[in-house]
Amino acid sequence: MTGMRKRVTAGFLSIVCLLFFSGMISFFELGRLSRDTDEILKANQRNIELAKEMLDAAHEQNVALIHLAVFGDRSYDSLSRTRMERLESTLQIAQREALDKSFLDSLAFVTTELRLLTDNYLAFAPADSLDSLGGKWYNDEYEVLYGRLTSAIKNYMTSTQSSLAPRTEQMKKNAYRAVTPVLISLLVMIATVLMLYYFMSLYCVDPVVRMNKSLGDFLAFRVPFAPKADFKDEVQELREKIEMLISVSRQNKA
Amino acid sequence: MRLDVVLRYVGMVMLFVASFMLLSAGISYVSARDSAFYPLLLSALLTALLGAFPLIFVEKKEQITNKEGFCIVVGSWLVACVVGMFPYLIWGGEFSLVNAWFESVSGFTTTGATILRDVEALPRGMQFWRMSSTWIGGMGVVMFALVILPALGRSKMTLSNVELSSLAKDNYRYRTQIIVQILLVVYVGLTIISTLLLKLAGMNWFDALAHGMSACATSGFSTKNASVAFYNSPAVNTILICIMALAGIHFGLIYGTITGKRNNIFRSEVTRSYLGYLLGGGLLIALSLYWAGLYPTIGSALMHGMFQFVSLVTSSGFATADTNTWTSFAIILLLFGSIVCACAGSTTGGIKVNRMVLAFKMMKARIRQRQHPNAVLRIKLDGVMQESEATHSVTVFIVAYMFLLLIGTVATTAFGIDLLTAFSSSVACLGNVGPGFGAVGSLDNYAGLPVAVRLIDTVLMLLGRLEIFGLIQLFFIKWWR
Repeated sequence: MTGMRKRVTAGFLSIVCLLFFSGMISFFELGRLSRDTDEILKANQRNIELAKEMLDAAHEQNVALIHLAVFGDRSYDSLSRTRMERLESTLQIAQREALDKSFLDSLAFVTTELRLLTDNYLAFAPADSLDSLGGKWYNDEYEVLYGRLTSAIKNYMTSTQSSLAPRTEQMKKNAYRAVTPVLISLLVMIATVLMLYYFMSLYCVDPVVRMNKSLGDFLAFRVPFAPKADFKDEVQELREKIEMLISVSRQNKA
Repeated sequence: MRLDVVLRYVGMVMLFVASFMLLSAGISYVSARDSAFYPLLLSALLTALLGAFPLIFVEKKEQITNKEGFCIVVGSWLVACVVGMFPYLIWGGEFSLVNAWFESVSGFTTTGATILRDVEALPRGMQFWRMSSTWIGGMGVVMFALVILPALGRSKMTLSNVELSSLAKDNYRYRTQIIVQILLVVYVGLTIISTLLLKLAGMNWFDALAHGMSACATSGFSTKNASVAFYNSPAVNTILICIMALAGIHFGLIYGTITGKRNNIFRSEVTRSYLGYLLGGGLLIALSLYWAGLYPTIGSALMHGMFQFVSLVTSSGFATADTNTWTSFAIILLLFGSIVCACAGSTTGGIKVNRMVLAFKMMKARIRQRQHPNAVLRIKLDGVMQESEATHSVTVFIVAYMFLLLIGTVATTAFGIDLLTAFSSSVACLGNVGPGFGAVGSLDNYAGLPVAVRLIDTVLMLLGRLEIFGLIQLFFIKWWR
């Protein structure tokens, strides 16, 4: 490759690299931002699903215990146990998956209390008989704990909504971080393009324009061909050849 | 003026800056590829591209004019400050646009003032980049670029004309070609020695290198929120006092002393005055602190008093104590030290001892002239007769310096800042010192100041680093023709 072509090619390749680079950064950063947003939305949805599952389990156990304790129907024994297990397994899943675990501690504590209370009752409850003590137990002990449990589940359900503000703030920061490298790349690209324009003008356009003017002056008014510019590479060779041509033409005339 | 030539040399400086970004990225990679790796690598690539671009088009030039040299120096400094922001901006954290600009300018001008509330939260790579920026700035971006320039003789001198103060050049008794070598040998040597000594004093390798770089650049950047007070070690304090005091002496004289030349520290009138003023000031502050009962023993008062005075006089800004709680006498002495600073030909800022010595001699001569109106009086500095142009420039510089201090203080107070903070922050930024008093005390930072004040401070830092007229001249259109 010749001098001028090499320089121009290298200059344009630099800009192309920068463009590619800038594009890749945007792609990478926006992809990351999209993943972060997706993660928050999924966590929010999952949180609601798990809370609903826990509320359902708690409600069904509540119904089973009303039948068991108030009406003395022992057939609801297994239903109460299975719903308790469902509540606990859902809680374990939430503990594994939750982004914010702070609300789960109180929920786990109430669930353990409820498990101890119901296990204790089911172990010592009189079989197949209507018992006034059962109703009292339900009203005085179980219902209080059930209220605390549902309240803890609701707190957990709204936890993602409560932590949405700091997460949105974090996302704003992430968005800023995603945009900054791209903006800097663009800034560098603008500087590079301006430099390319300046160098092209200085080393290519200006010399050609001045040579053209000087050649015109020579042809029209016989002013000596002496263009003043920064000549380089092929443009320098061109100037030398024109000078040579003029000198040959003069010799021929002479 | 040939803008293409200026762009080529500025580009070379950018490549040098990019190499340090890459080095910082390497450190980040070694430190378990911390969060600074990607921002530093990206910044290094962008800066390298920006620097390499002019080299594709512009061929090397053997001769450069005075104006071109001037533009290369000032341009390099400004562009280095801009590209120095890139890693901070991409990394994020506490770095907003203004904060990143402040930190970058503070680094490259070796001011050492920071907007970071929690320096220790920075990953290692970013910490090293902060230190690198200040280390590069310490010797002057252009002096480093000169090492890699193939051009000879005159071009180097043209660049150093701007880089060093005119008084510093007078003290050089060496050929221009070896000035760069001298600066490098002394600067790099001092950094290596201080790193080793700080390591022996109990710092880990990273902190020792970081504080060594910062001390030699007389910057005062630290890797700890509590600065040097974190270590609470008399050995560390003593080593840093010696390193900072040495870094405040003309590098050519240090080289002369090491190589046994006639032109050495002991024969230099300016250096003698500087060392005397360091000892005298430090001692007076220590006595003031001891008498005020701020320190239980004279030893501890001397250690802290001397450390803070040396730190501010050499425009370093390391801290071992909260100077806001010190006596008014100590504070005023520290402020005086921040205005005068150390010797020309070193990495310090401020008015410089050389100018003060010359100013005192001029005052003395003026009094004698009044007594003997017909006497022909000569003013000599280090045995060399000073021409009227030199004495005139000293007067103009001191007046301009004081005028800028006044403007800086007035502009800062306009944003509701108290007088002590406004004045001391202007002194600290114009003198490239770093910490001031009040809200910007030795253990505080500039994060609490309004955005406009932070921007004013960065302008003061650049004016101080480029000896005031270096930056002002660039904005006169007539000068460009």
